[in-house]
Amino acid sequence: MTLRPEIFLLIVILGAASLLCRISGFWLMRFVTITPRLKAALNATPLAVMVGIVAPTAASGNPAELAALAAIFLVMRFWPNDLAAAMAGMFVVAVWRWLQLAS
Amino acid sequence: MQVAIFSTAGMRRGLIAAQPLAFGVFIYGIAFGLLTSEANLSTLEALLMSGMVYSGSAQLVALNSLMGGTVPSGTVLFTVLATILLLNGRYVLYGAAMRPWLGSLPAYQAYPSLAVLGDGNWILSMKAASEGEQDAGFVFASGFGMFLPWLGGTWLGSVALSFVSNPNRLGLDFMLIAFSAAMGISMFKARADFKIVVVAALVSLAVSQFAPGGPAILAAGFAAGVTVWLTYVEEKTA
Repeated sequence: MTLRPEIFLLIVILGAASLLCRISGFWLMRFVTITPRLKAALNATPLAVMVGIVAPTAASGNPAELAALAAIFLVMRFWPNDLAAAMAGMFVVAVWRWLQLAS
Repeated sequence: MQVAIFSTAGMRRGLIAAQPLAFGVFIYGIAFGLLTSEANLSTLEALLMSGMVYSGSAQLVALNSLMGGTVPSGTVLFTVLATILLLNGRYVLYGAAMRPWLGSLPAYQAYPSLAVLGDGNWILSMKAASEGEQDAGFVFASGFGMFLPWLGGTWLGSVALSFVSNPNRLGLDFMLIAFSAAMGISMFKARADFKIVVVAALVSLAVSQFAPGGPAILAAGFAAGVTVWLTYVEEKTA
């Protein structure tokens, strides 16, 4: 089991950078008064991040992914359960890709 | 500000909520571990990297710089560092958004929760908070519940258990997208949320053209936050 000092140094530097990203936003907000307006802005970020994650895939036009997103929407419509909907979407993607490989 | 609680009951809820995504993280850990052996990293080095950096996209960049078999020069190291800061910049936003919830916790509870923060557990936690979850144990346990499988997967892949050569065939690359879509639909509550969706989608698509992944996600979240800040109306009835 080897641990080369130069690799260790690389990992420590990159690890510190990642940790800094994870804690700095939270730490900096210490010095900011959270007004209702700021809270509303912060509360908007989760939905925006979700949309930001989905949008490039939705715009890609890949049939497997589009069908899966449609399946997720349908499941959420009739049985609002995140887990069930996400699993249905993954199932559609996996089956669609499998059919594409088989054909 | 209400005082946040941190209990084992909350930790249990977080750990359970994390399990489906944790499975995907585990498989991706294996895939990453396989790559580390291709880059001639020892198992110990691979585990240290997964444990300390804990960011799939950032670790791939780091690994790429090591693929030549030599240790990167100062210039390359600087480029890798800058890329990682850019890729992980979204965590700054994630942490800021958690301040109202975790801000009243003692540091020994808040900072470990942040150290294991990932996309999946942040999304799960913020969604749970919007539905009334106040227990910060949820945040820590859902984060830790994905961190451990990342380490376990890295280890398995590194000792070359190559039964999954391509996790994309199982649709696992779609997992975070699927959860984001489902949770986004259930988080969409009022017509006021419409502008958040439009701004986030447009900004994400635009930034994806030149910086897909982390930077696009950060830009979408930030732009929507700014939009809500600018259009905020005092005393609105919630």
